[in-house]
Amino acid sequence: MYLITQASLAGITNGMVYALIGMGLAAIFKGSRVVNAMQGEFSVVAAILAAIAMAGMGAPYWLAAMAGIAAAVLIGVFIELVFIRYMIRKGASPESFLLLTVGIALTISAALLFFAGRSPFLLPPLGGEDVFLIMDAVLSLHALWLISLAILITFLLRLFFRKTVLGLRMMAASIDAEGAITTGINVALMRTYTFALGGLLGGVAGILITPLVPVNYHVGLALTLKGFAAAILGGLTNPLGAAIGGLTLGLIEALTVVAIPSAYKDVITFTLLIFIMILMPDGMLGRRSRKGG
Amino acid sequence: MIERFNSQRWLLIGAGLLVWALVPQFGERHVVELLVFTGIYTIAGLGLGLLLGQGGVVSLAQATFCGLGAYSSAYATVMLQWPSVSGFALGVVISGTLAALVGWPILRLTGYFLALATLALSVIFTSLFFELDWLTGGELGIGGIPKLQIGEFSLNTPARMYVLVWLVAFGCMLLSYNIKQSRAGLMLNAVRDAEEAASSLGIKPLALRVRLFVVSAVFGSLAGSLFAHHVNFVSVHSFGIERSIVFLLIPVLGGSRSIIGVIAGALFVTFLPDLLSGIGDFHQVLFGLVMIAIVVLAPAGIVGLAQTLSMRRSSGV
Repeated sequence: MYLITQASLAGITNGMVYALIGMGLAAIFKGSRVVNAMQGEFSVVAAILAAIAMAGMGAPYWLAAMAGIAAAVLIGVFIELVFIRYMIRKGASPESFLLLTVGIALTISAALLFFAGRSPFLLPPLGGEDVFLIMDAVLSLHALWLISLAILITFLLRLFFRKTVLGLRMMAASIDAEGAITTGINVALMRTYTFALGGLLGGVAGILITPLVPVNYHVGLALTLKGFAAAILGGLTNPLGAAIGGLTLGLIEALTVVAIPSAYKDVITFTLLIFIMILMPDGMLGRRSRKGG
Repeated sequence: MIERFNSQRWLLIGAGLLVWALVPQFGERHVVELLVFTGIYTIAGLGLGLLLGQGGVVSLAQATFCGLGAYSSAYATVMLQWPSVSGFALGVVISGTLAALVGWPILRLTGYFLALATLALSVIFTSLFFELDWLTGGELGIGGIPKLQIGEFSLNTPARMYVLVWLVAFGCMLLSYNIKQSRAGLMLNAVRDAEEAASSLGIKPLALRVRLFVVSAVFGSLAGSLFAHHVNFVSVHSFGIERSIVFLLIPVLGGSRSIIGVIAGALFVTFLPDLLSGIGDFHQVLFGLVMIAIVVLAPAGIVGLAQTLSMRRSSGV
């Protein structure tokens, strides 16, 4: 029983990490129909910059975190302004957007290796090193912060896309670009905002993950993959879906580890992912959320 | 016009073959060594080119099939002491069967979701290559894979391996070309360009895509077996996701609808990192930037870019 509680707590924490990455992917896909294969890189850049700002330059935590997140947002804006906008004007195929983001992921990871080296970076945990005991199982205070913030972000995103004018405009611009233009929405600008939002979510995820997972130049791809899986489970365009998808993924991983050697974790997760894509093409929440908003 | 085009093409192919035959005589050992890898990458890339150009399928699983071929050869020759031909055959059978079994369900998916499913396949097999260490040697890999032999003649120099690898590559090119020209190839074109219209004519897109996936996997497996016999050592690190991405770059950078494009792409991914490595650790960043530039500026690949440029020039005259 103790094992199962401990595994579930670890699963919920990991699941929320996947959810944070998945929500960024879902937000970008929702706003631009681009599957962003460098979503994990947003997190890695933010985390490494923040760690360097704190350890190397002695910046306070909040400032370092803000700087890291700001860098991720700027990278998102840069990608949209410089590449995506041009490629859309040229009528590029959907695959080429995927390849573009793969190329950006490779470049950023190589640049991080060159400038920041191989060694992993860590950030201090929120709320210090305290831990909770829940039915004899251990949960760190930071993990609790991560879980609560991830839940908060999920609901804020949902509110943003449903209730605010800007969120509705961004959705309109992606669902029906021509219709949106006729009502006076600046579609290209909305897409830039979408990438800024993706960068913001990725950056926040990076800052929250790094006290738990040591981050170095090559974890970006692994993060993106898990985020992808979370987002797809949830139907890809729905941030709430990505959160539920991430949670499911984390719990399945953690509970299979109780029964099966942990090395087969990825085998099980990704086999399951393939089955879910085939059997539930619209994600676990159903509805045709992949096509519409 | 068509006549002239054909004779020009034959001239080009003839000149290419002449250069190909002369390279091992005059080229440096290092260049020949790289060209062996270019040949291996060409074989793997041809499969992906067929999938992408004819079927519109983005596959990120080629390193998996390549790994299956390499491990089959390694296991057959080192652990079982069988002749090397059996390793090739074993790899082809395993890869082809896996591609058929997995392709049947996942090729129903389209676009990004299909790409992700192949990526998931790649992740699963990377873990399996790592974990099934009684079969694959795990982290340590399998060493001591013998050089290939034809009768008493050992292919123990890069120049000799170069000849064999490229003969296999030419065979695969011929096969690709025939597939493109065949009835199945034409049906695939129809499916790619207008799937619904094609199925209304009784074409079964799924069955065609599965066949293409099997051919692509077999090419990957052959490339893997050749790789194993050339470097004499296989380990997990050779068949990860990064390798799948590099394989996918070959048809994308070269131009997925042309066979020459695949060679151009393979030359690109083998020679560019080598040339850039002279300037130190920064070369990986440059490689990424070049890749981005090609995807953004030349979506039809290097060959597409060359065609556009030559068309501009000839229309200017």
